[in-house]
Amino acid sequence: MKILEANAGALTNFEVLDFLRSKGAAKDPTRVLAKVAPSEYKVYDYLNQTHACNQTREAIIEFVDKSKKYDLAKAELLNILNLRPITPVEIFPIIEDSDVRMGDDGIQELTEMVEQVFPTPQTEPTSEAVPMEGKEAETMAEQEEIVDAGQEPMETT
Amino acid sequence: MFYLSRIEHTLRVPPSMLHLPILDAIKGELEKLFLDKVVAKLGLCISVYDIRSVDGGFIFPSDGAATYKVVFTLIVFRPYAGEIIIGKVKESDANGLRISLGFFEDIYVPIHLLPSPSEFKPDPKNGGKRRWVWDYDGQPYDIYETDEIKFRIHSIDYPAIPVDQQPNESNSKFQMEEQPKENVNVKPFAPMVVTATIDYDGLGPVSWWDGSGDADADAEAEAEEDS
Repeated sequence: MKILEANAGALTNFEVLDFLRSKGAAKDPTRVLAKVAPSEYKVYDYLNQTHACNQTREAIIEFVDKSKKYDLAKAELLNILNLRPITPVEIFPIIEDSDVRMGDDGIQELTEMVEQVFPTPQTEPTSEAVPMEGKEAETMAEQEEIVDAGQEPMETT
Repeated sequence: MFYLSRIEHTLRVPPSMLHLPILDAIKGELEKLFLDKVVAKLGLCISVYDIRSVDGGFIFPSDGAATYKVVFTLIVFRPYAGEIIIGKVKESDANGLRISLGFFEDIYVPIHLLPSPSEFKPDPKNGGKRRWVWDYDGQPYDIYETDEIKFRIHSIDYPAIPVDQQPNESNSKFQMEEQPKENVNVKPFAPMVVTATIDYDGLGPVSWWDGSGDADADAEAEAEEDS
């Protein structure tokens, strides 16, 4: 085994969840029929408890656009996407020197923006909108797109 | 938390997989080989993301299997130092906390990375079972097992696989009976150990910071005991 590239791009929790859903993890209540390993189901279960289960690709792109003015590092953006902080105290540990770099108003503004882009879910998350199983070739093509889309938000800062 | 990693591997595909399309066969073999395993310095392999190229298909003399050189991408779990993650408290003992993510459970918070001053106190409501308590200006903040907890990654270690055996001190015939007792408190080998800290504003059990304060955490704990 040879590691060609240890870091070929970071993924947000949402992208991993989306990938597992596209493998059919969401719509198999028996957990036997879909080609998803038990260890992958564990990851799927964990991600379904996080805020990633309510996010959409559009919302993430919108957030990355809107957060450009705050001049955040990639790792900070990734962490905000994964945790969806909506109070200032949740921002403090994520963003280094947040009070110096952004000021109290900036932090407040950022939390409001996060809440507006990723609203608190009112209904059950819709996990049904996943690609059909059995279209291997298409899934591969989609995976290529995920790579591109996945790296895009990371490279914006 | 999750990364893509590109790997090249020389893979033996057994003849029993010949009836499958080649990509399916290779993907199945790769999943058997890598899924839920830790690769040192790379992290915990979650999933095979895609297969980039397949070369060869050489059959070695006196072997029935085709050997391919495959370049593929894995999704790996590899938190970076400074990242904030939410998990669940799995255990608390005199050495600190152990946190679980469901798919990964070797996350430890040692005593010196707990908020200070913290104390390991018996919990009168829970039959004297001990839990960690953060004493903030005389106000106790408890960390219960099964609490949702937010932590920051401090460091990641990939311990080498232990090869040398423990020297046997006693050669008595009761050795077999004694051995299990000694091993009770020995941690099983973990190929990836994450050290985390909760000593910062906004870190620690989620209930500490959601505005409702400790009263809420107490109420939750009581509700759990009742149920």
